[in-house]
Amino acid sequence: MTVSGTSVVEITDLGKQYPGADDPALSGVSLTVDRGEVVVLLGLSGSGKSTLLRHIDGLELPTSGSVRALDQDVPSLRGRELRTLRGRIGFIFQQFEIVGPLTVLENVLTGALSRIRGPRVGVWSYSRELRLKALAHLDRVGLLERAYQRADTLSGGQQQRVAIARALMQDPEILLADEPVASLDPESSGQVMALIREIAAERGLTVVCSLHQVDLALGWGDRIVGLRAGKVVLDVSTDGLSRDQVMEIYGRVATTTSELQAIEQELSEVRGAMLAEELQRRDEDAR
Amino acid sequence: MTLRLAQDGAALDARLAGVIRPRPKAATVVSVVTLLALLVLGIWSFAGLGFSLTSIINSLDNIPQFVARTVPFAWPGWHWDRESATLVSDGWAPVGEFVGAILMTLGIVIAGTFLAFLVSIPIAYGAARNTTPNPTVMVICRALGIIARAIPAVAFASIFVFLFALGPLPGVLAFFFHSIGMISKMMADAIEQIDEGPRLAIRSTGGSKAQEFWSGVVPQALPAWIAVGLHRADINLRETVILGYVGVAGLGLELSNSIHALNYRRAFPLAITIIVLCILFEIVSSMVRSRLLGVRPTGKGIGDTLVRAAARRSARFAASIEKPGVTTDRAAAIHAAMNRPWTGERLASRIAIWVAVVVVAGSFIAAQARWSDLFTFWGNLPILLDKDNLWPPTFGIYTNEQVFQAILVTFQVAFAATLMSAVLSIVVGSFAARNVAPNRYVRNGFRGLLLVIRGVPELILAILFVIVTGLGAQAGTLALAIGGVGLLGKLIADSLEEVPNGPERAISAVGGTRAQVYFASTLPMSIPAFVGHLLYLLEQNVRAATLLGIVGGGGIGLYLYDSLRVSKYDQVTAFLLLIIVLVLIIEGIAVFIRKALK
Repeated sequence: MTVSGTSVVEITDLGKQYPGADDPALSGVSLTVDRGEVVVLLGLSGSGKSTLLRHIDGLELPTSGSVRALDQDVPSLRGRELRTLRGRIGFIFQQFEIVGPLTVLENVLTGALSRIRGPRVGVWSYSRELRLKALAHLDRVGLLERAYQRADTLSGGQQQRVAIARALMQDPEILLADEPVASLDPESSGQVMALIREIAAERGLTVVCSLHQVDLALGWGDRIVGLRAGKVVLDVSTDGLSRDQVMEIYGRVATTTSELQAIEQELSEVRGAMLAEELQRRDEDAR
Repeated sequence: MTLRLAQDGAALDARLAGVIRPRPKAATVVSVVTLLALLVLGIWSFAGLGFSLTSIINSLDNIPQFVARTVPFAWPGWHWDRESATLVSDGWAPVGEFVGAILMTLGIVIAGTFLAFLVSIPIAYGAARNTTPNPTVMVICRALGIIARAIPAVAFASIFVFLFALGPLPGVLAFFFHSIGMISKMMADAIEQIDEGPRLAIRSTGGSKAQEFWSGVVPQALPAWIAVGLHRADINLRETVILGYVGVAGLGLELSNSIHALNYRRAFPLAITIIVLCILFEIVSSMVRSRLLGVRPTGKGIGDTLVRAAARRSARFAASIEKPGVTTDRAAAIHAAMNRPWTGERLASRIAIWVAVVVVAGSFIAAQARWSDLFTFWGNLPILLDKDNLWPPTFGIYTNEQVFQAILVTFQVAFAATLMSAVLSIVVGSFAARNVAPNRYVRNGFRGLLLVIRGVPELILAILFVIVTGLGAQAGTLALAIGGVGLLGKLIADSLEEVPNGPERAISAVGGTRAQVYFASTLPMSIPAFVGHLLYLLEQNVRAATLLGIVGGGGIGLYLYDSLRVSKYDQVTAFLLLIIVLVLIIEGIAVFIRKALK
């Protein structure tokens, strides 16, 4: 289809239906991401951003359509092949998902697991080379001094930086980030987003990052893809795009919220009327 | 005015009549029915066991006679000389043997529990819903656990005593097999409770299943696992007493020999030793457990502390920290960080690990077991099977009527003890709860009391009650009831403390007294937990009651013990099967009620 070599993610007509759910999580989603592109998936919670990202890493299997990443058909991969592919794709989670009781350094080292065989326990079970590399990555994210501290003693922003170092340990070609700053305060959010952007620039990484804040997305990505109820409703380059323009488009994207607000309004009016009626009846009863 | 009120009342009644009352939730109905059933069955059991104040008071007449035969105690190294009526020294040799018996007992317990811990890891992996490779493996692993749990340690021991002859080895193996049941189940529970996120993260980096388990699951579950192992070791230490009755070497055997020889001067020091040992073990293990489970993020402070501590120890590392802005030599800083600084935390955990290794390794030596028997016992297997007296099971000399009576007594002991524990525990447990006790001295006092009660093995209590009062089932009931307070009181105190305290504050803010807060908020919110704890205690009591007979506390255990003593193995099989069935029945009922409570 598309010229391979330039595009690293090719999703065609992807559909995902969870068993027991009424509506599909994704339907008819097509998306091509070129090498080195920084793409933002914009959408409200429940719009299918996380589900889409997880398909690229083979953490979910599609109900229909195809998912190709790094020239491989992701859903058909099994075992060692799938793990090798995952090793080439870094994934940053909203809740950081680092192993709390382990040290920061060991958490970073787990990023290398796809390249070594067998289970590892303790920092010393990884080679000296890997340890040096992990420490260098920790230095890059500014947490070298914390290397031997328990990971759960760090703040949220620091934990997310550990997760970034873990992803770097994979030497990824693609970095997927699922709402990486949704659980962070504004200051740490800024730091983490800047760090991801810097690293992407340094390494020429392809980044697909899901967000729900327009402002953050606009200043950050090269391209914005809007999702709503499992469908792509917007796909624009941010070059020369003004905030107002995006807000205008995003306003259309986010009609669900305005619809909700309208319903909320109606409901409160009805409640008010009922309350008035009830009060009136009580007065009559009292008389 | 009054007329107006009356009219209001009538109008209100009319409107209230129209209000639809929601039916109570199924869980509420089940918990009320369960509580009532336990109350009724408890009272019926008290009556059935012939409990009366007079019988207990009459039994107290035994005491002077008993005291004359017991005091002064003959501690190891002394014996009672009947003619001169004085204690005579035997020198130091018996003291050495006594210390050896203590170490052997601890060795048997720790070695058996440790082996069970190791074997439980793969079983738990297979049994936990989120790690199991497939449903068939899950069913097999869970079934293994249920079977191991249902067969009492003493049953395993009695089989192994036959296969390996008397000594410590049957004890190690009995604890090994029986403990797998509880340890693997609780390990699997711990695996199911982990945060799935880190596992997913390791999967997304391309980790294999095994890597996912060792790097994502084990670090999260390990503290809970170790706590389970320690807890089980605690329980096993109590059970050494009863294993002694069937011939496993150690303190339990010494105690059982002294009691059968009616040598109470010797028996009491042994009983006291076991009690003290159990209390010490309980204290140590609960300290380790609370440390393990209490490891929480300590906030900002620790980071600075660590870095400062590191700075004192390593000049190079210090240099890299003191000038964070001037990282002229990045590579040097990274190389310096290759050596983990010896912080206090690291030192402490390293010491703890080595102490644990030494204790476990030492336990295998202290148990003094002839491990080689493990490879030679096959010779005895044919005898066991050929003898033809293991199967078919038969009640032998006992009539069905007798057996039925014994089962009835077993259940009555369990129900009566549960009711008694419940009543006592609500009081003791409440005062041991931080949010109920008037001040922390009262709370800590009651907590300490509960800890001591928990430390005393119920079987030792039963033995002492049987000797002192000369009663059977009643003495057993009292022993279980008192022992139960240690467990139930603690569980009640914990669940009272876990109650959300917003409502409590609200009622205090309204101007409620301490008692009002307790009855309006604290108690009602902990009722569901209370019902669960009561069921758990009942299960434990039924298990214990099936074995009480071995030490003369009434119930079906007596027949098992007598059959063992006369080597009627077909009867042993029959009573063991019966006990397993009884335990499974009560477990099944408890599982059913728990499901309904959810």
